[in-house]
Formats: sequence, structure tokens, C-alpha cells
Amino acid sequence: MAPSSAGVEPLLTMQGAVKRFGGALALNGAHLTLRSGEIHALLGENGAGKSTMLKVLAGIHELDEGTVMLRGAVFEQGSPRAAMRQGVAVIYQEPSLFPDLSLAENVFVGQLPRKGIGLDWKRMRTESAALFEELGVPLDPMRLARGLSIADQQVVEIAKALSMDAKIILMDEPTAALTSSEVDRLVFVMNRLRDANKAVVFVSHRLDEVFAICSYLTVMRDGETVAESPVADSSIEEVIRWMVGRDLKEIFPKVPSTPGKVALRTQGLTSGTTFRDISIEVRTGEIVALAGLVGSGRSEVARAIFGVDPYDSGEVFLDEAKLPASRPKVAVARGLALVPEDRRQQGLFMPSSLFRNVAFEMLGPLSKLGFLTVRPEQKLTRTWADTLQIKYPNVAAPVDQLSGGNQQKSVLAKWLATDPEVLIVDEPTRGIDVKTKAEVHRLLSQSAADGKAVLMISSELPEVLGMADRIYVMHEGRITAEFSREEADQEIIMRAATGQNRNGTVA
Amino acid sequence: MGKHALNIVKSREFGIGIILVLAIGLTAFLNPRFVTGSGFSDLLLSSAIFGALAVGLAPVVVARHIDLSIASNTGLSAYITAKLISDHQLGVIPAFIIGGAFGLIIGSVNGVIVAGLRLPSLVVTLGMLFVVRGIDYQIAGGQKITAQQLPRSILDLGIDNFMGIPIVFWVVLVLTLFTAWWMKYTALGRSLYAIGSNPPTADVVGINVFRSTFFAFAFSGFMAGIGGVIYVARFAQVDSSAFINQELAVVTAVVVGGVNIFGGVGTAIGALLGALLVRTIIGALVALGIPAFWQQAVNGALLLVAIGLDRFLATRGESKAERVNEEREEEQSWRG
Repeated sequence: MAPSSAGVEPLLTMQGAVKRFGGALALNGAHLTLRSGEIHALLGENGAGKSTMLKVLAGIHELDEGTVMLRGAVFEQGSPRAAMRQGVAVIYQEPSLFPDLSLAENVFVGQLPRKGIGLDWKRMRTESAALFEELGVPLDPMRLARGLSIADQQVVEIAKALSMDAKIILMDEPTAALTSSEVDRLVFVMNRLRDANKAVVFVSHRLDEVFAICSYLTVMRDGETVAESPVADSSIEEVIRWMVGRDLKEIFPKVPSTPGKVALRTQGLTSGTTFRDISIEVRTGEIVALAGLVGSGRSEVARAIFGVDPYDSGEVFLDEAKLPASRPKVAVARGLALVPEDRRQQGLFMPSSLFRNVAFEMLGPLSKLGFLTVRPEQKLTRTWADTLQIKYPNVAAPVDQLSGGNQQKSVLAKWLATDPEVLIVDEPTRGIDVKTKAEVHRLLSQSAADGKAVLMISSELPEVLGMADRIYVMHEGRITAEFSREEADQEIIMRAATGQNRNGTVA
Repeated sequence: MGKHALNIVKSREFGIGIILVLAIGLTAFLNPRFVTGSGFSDLLLSSAIFGALAVGLAPVVVARHIDLSIASNTGLSAYITAKLISDHQLGVIPAFIIGGAFGLIIGSVNGVIVAGLRLPSLVVTLGMLFVVRGIDYQIAGGQKITAQQLPRSILDLGIDNFMGIPIVFWVVLVLTLFTAWWMKYTALGRSLYAIGSNPPTADVVGINVFRSTFFAFAFSGFMAGIGGVIYVARFAQVDSSAFINQELAVVTAVVVGGVNIFGGVGTAIGALLGALLVRTIIGALVALGIPAFWQQAVNGALLLVAIGLDRFLATRGESKAERVNEEREEEQSWRG
């Protein structure tokens, strides 16, 4: 770990930062101090103000009040070009490359080197190749960005930052979409940047990463800076308390419940090579987890049960009555609900309003003589939004204006409004903050206690262990193990998920 | 084969070129008059106007915009050019300057509205389509400018060949090569690809979106104006309905030529080849004695085949990339 950089002259200071969006205060007196040669963690729940702070530094937003000083001079806000010129570069969670341009062009875009009135392709090619080399990832500068993995796209973004001679590199959840070896590579690159005396700002929800990578941390809550500390002087528990003001055990508020009759059962469900011979059952009052690695076929099973995807053989029973394949409408009518993993793509109609989304599955019951009136839709939405504590400006606001956590709760609201017998949730808390996570968990737990059967797909072992009454583990399309809540621990689930209890090999 | 040569063979333009040669060859085989004598130069002559407009439209479409006002622009530019050169008996060069400048003005209006006010180009240029045509009706009234009124030089321009190829096609060819050059080798050209490839990001990374977008529309207008001059030379008469309703045929040519309607991909040379292919097939239908009402259907089918092929190639590429990513992820989470 890097030595603590306290005492070094600050590179950038933000003080008394206030930023309003309409009536909402995104930043409320926040402050931030960055020094050269440090990897600085910026922590907080979704909606705490981290993104707003980054966007101010990136030149996308301008502060309503407060000052930003860069090397003793006033930092010019409100223009991405000015931010770049002053040495601030941003690596977004989902990199924003131009897929149809070459990597070399992506590196130099916005400041394409010219030769006469044409472009200096030779310089672009050699300099970007040199930058990729320096970052330890030799990419072909002339290939198109389309099809590049997210990890490689980030490398291109970092090369872009270096080509502009950026002094401050902001990374907004760069590890969220990476595999563990890609994370290792990114950490290597980040350490290089730190050694090159850059200030690297790292935003992540994975606290173990923060403690492994960063030297200093700033914690935000409700638009304010609540803590600043060298990483060496703090602990994960402490940071969580700063972030949420509550303890870890509240994140998994599982209420015990007694399982009733079998609500959902599958018998030998098989679909090509995607999944084979899936026989599971979920009882009322029970939360059953479907654990396993990404790509093990869990989501595909859920989609097949719901009828979105077809399957080759096997049967699905709801309340011991056979559910026809490939008929999602029938599934909904019979009391099945699926909250998909990708809420932006599959869960919400993005530019539509909150109430259009929440009430969508209830349009039949809500309409009178075949006509819809807005009022009952909005009333239903308010009821569920209150129950789920969704934060929204008004029910007619477009859902894409809500934060990620509130969007996730909106999808849940939509399906809970249908009063389903069986609720299937796919990665219910991916990409949302600790506090919202706790609330989603509370809702799932409450749903089970109310007598619903919940099937939860999750890659997060603490979530599986904390929430599930029973756990099925999938590996390469098959169920490899089943555990009760008491039997399960991280290690045996991981073994089953990697297929080690079957062939006995050890990694 | 060298890497460069291989890239050319794999390019979309090369494929269209092959189909073009096949279409010409097959038609010539069935009806030799299609390529002998004036047949071939007729084909190039009729392709010249479409080619000019298609090449002008290509940078606009690459930037994920559309310009539906081009055919109206060609019509009005043709009328204004014909009127001025017949009234003042001007030569060919002034004709091109008048037509090009007038087209440029209309294109610049599009550019200011679309790029400056950030309004959707589909709607803006649809409006301009009617506005410009309306002005055309107003100025021309029921008048027709005929060959008797036009100066000799412009009439010759529509007839003369150089090395067996119509002069006007040479003009379009030179403009195409110029367009291909600036689209590929200038910062402005590359920024159009960037804008079409990822519009929200283009703003953030410091590209001058206004300037690039404005330029694309102004250029499209300029090429439509040049098309108007060629129209005068070729048909030797102009009235208020010149080149009416041809805008979607140009869009078809551009898309058939490999310019992605969602932006980011395409070249000027592809657009010209697309125009040639569309005109060749229409010419071939005539040469083969196929009833005229089939022409539109065949044109439409060509468009559908072109985008269907794009989709097929794109999904094949994507699923391949996805598979590789998934396999790699699985492999890595195993290790992790």
C-alpha cells in the first residue's frame, strides 16, 4: 500500500459545494481534497452526491455555491473541454468510446493531431501504441472500438487521459463490470498512474477493493462529506457506519417464516446446452436462492419458467397445476412475477413516467369499461412508492430521472402491485447502494413472511447466505447442490458453483 | 495478399462494386444494347445527379442525421441556375458557382436549425422539403425554361464525353474523391463519424458538434445544388417540379451503398456506388423490358436486402464477440 499522502500540498480542493437540481440538493456543503500521487476513494451510497461531485470536476455540472481550486488557481467549471484542458479526465463505469472509430482516434478524439489540413495518422498510431504499451496492454491502435471488452475500453480511456496529460483521473465504479483478473490488471494500471504522480479518484461499492487499492478515503452521505481519513486509519465497519449510519447486520433483515405448500415446481427443465434437468421447488413463505457463477444458466432458467424463453423438455408447475411454456401472459395471470436483472433494458420503459411503469401490469384491473383513467394509476403508484420508500419528485416524472436504487425499487413495485404468488428476482441488488440493498432485502423478507414464494438469483454470496431459507447451486447449466440455511457457508457454495464437489478437483 | 489489399477486398464498397459489375454484365448478356453505344453513358449520366446527392448525403447520415430537403434543393437550384444563365447567357463555370452557392445557402439554413437549435433533422429537413418546393412553385409559377433559352455551353455539358464517360460524371467523380478524402483524413470528417457513433459522448469529449454538424448539412446542400446544375445540363429544361419526390431514392442509394442509417459507418465512394447500383438496376429493368411499375418494388427490395445483409453481418459479429467475452469471463471466474 502507498504511504499516506497527508501533509503533501493539495492538488485540488473543493469547499462548501452546493448543487441543486430543481428542489433536490445533490450537494450540500460537500468538500474534497485531492493530492498528487494518491489513489483516493470516494465512497457513499447511490444518491450521496459522488456522481454529482465527479460531474462538477468533469465540467458537466457547475456548482451553485462553493469553490474549486486547482493548484492555487480557480478551477474553471461548466465545460468538459475546459475540464480536460485543466488536466481532469474521467473514466466512466460504462466507457464512452466511439465504436466505429479506431482506438487511435478514440485516444486523440477532441484533439486530433493535424498535419497540414489533414490528420497525422502516423503520429496517432505510434503515440497510442506507445501509451497502450506503457499501460501494459498492447492493443492494436488501428482496430475499431466496437467489440472491445469493457476492461480494454477502460484502458483506451486511460490512454486518452494520459495523452491529454491529465493530472487528475476520475474513475466512476470502474471495477463494477470487470472480472477478477481484469480488476487485477486495472489495479496495476492505477498503481502506475499513482507512481506517475497523478491523483486518481476511485469510486466503488466494493469496500474490500477500496481497502486494498486506495491510500485515502472521503465518505459522503446526503450531499455532505461525512468523513475523510487515510485508509490505514479506518476499518470497513467504520466506513459502512459513515456511509449508512447503521450496522452491517441490518443489511440482511431476514425474518424467520414457516414454509407452506409448494408454490412453484419445475421437473427436469432442459434447454439445449444452456441448462439441463432443472428440478427445483419453492414453497410459500420461503426465500430460495439460485446461486452460481455468472453464465451458469440461472437467469436463463428464470426466463424459461416465466415463459420469455422456450425450453426443450421438462415441466413447470404453479400450485401443482402445469404452466404452459412460452406464455408469459399466462404466467402473470397465474400469479408469477419476474424482476429481471437488467432493469434498464428489461424492467422499465425508460422515458415513461413512474406511474406508467408501476401501474403497467395492472392496467386491466384499473381500467373502467376498457378505458384507463390516470387517477387510479397514480393512486396505486403512490401507495406502492410509499410502501417501498421510493424517492421521486412526482409520480409523472420520467423513471430515468430516478437514481439506480429507486429504479430498482420501481420495478419491484410494479410486480408487487400484481400481488404475485411467486416472485422471481434476478440479482435484485446489483449496482445499488447499501441502504437501498437493506430495503430491498427487507421487502423480500416481508413478501415471504406474507406468504409469497420468492426465488432469488444472486451472485453475491453474503446476500445468498443472509437471505435464503434454502439454496440451489448451479454450475454449467446443472443443479450441483442444494443446501439449507443452516448447512450453507461461503466455501461449500463456492465449491458447488465451480463444480468441484462433482469431479473432486481442487483449484 | 497484403493486409491492405485484403482490407479492400473485405470492404463493403468492394462487395457493392462486384454486385454492380455482375448486374451490368448480366443485363448486357441478355440485352447487349445496354452497354453498347450510348447505353453505358446514359447510365452514367442518369447516375450523376443521384450520385452527387448521395455523396452529399453520406456525411450527414454518418453523423446520424438525415437530409430530406435535398431533392427540393436540387429542384430549386436547377431552376435558379437555369433562369440566371439563360437570362444573362452565362457559361458552365458560373452555372456551377450559382448552383453550388444556392444549394449551400439552403443547406446552411438546415445546418443552423439542426445544429444550432438541436432539433431533429428528420423533422427540420422534412419541413424544408416543403418550404423549398413551395418557393420553387412561387418563383417558377407555371413557367418552363427550355433548351431554346439555355446557352449552348450548358447543353453541350449534358452531352459531351471525355474518354467515353460523360463530363458531368467526371465532375461527380472528382467531388466524390474529394469527399472521401475529407471524411477520412480531416479532423472535421472524423468528428462526424464520432458524432454518429456515440452522440452523447461527442459533446463531452470536446468535439465541436455544432461546427461539424453544420458543415455536414451545408455540404449536403452544396452537393444538391451541384446536382441541380447537372439536372439542367442533362434534361435541358426545368420547371417547378424538377427532381420532385426523389429524396427517398437518394436515401435508398446511400443505404444500399453501405452507409449505416444509424450513423458512424459509411463512405462517399460507397454512396456513389450505391447510386450507380440503384440506377443500373432501374436501367436494367428497362433494358430487359420489365414493366415500369416493377421498378419501385425492385428498388425497395434492394434496400431491404441491403439492410438485411447489414443486420446479418452485424449480429454475426456481435454474437461472436459476446461468445468470446462469455467464455473468457467464465474461465476467469473459475480461476478467481
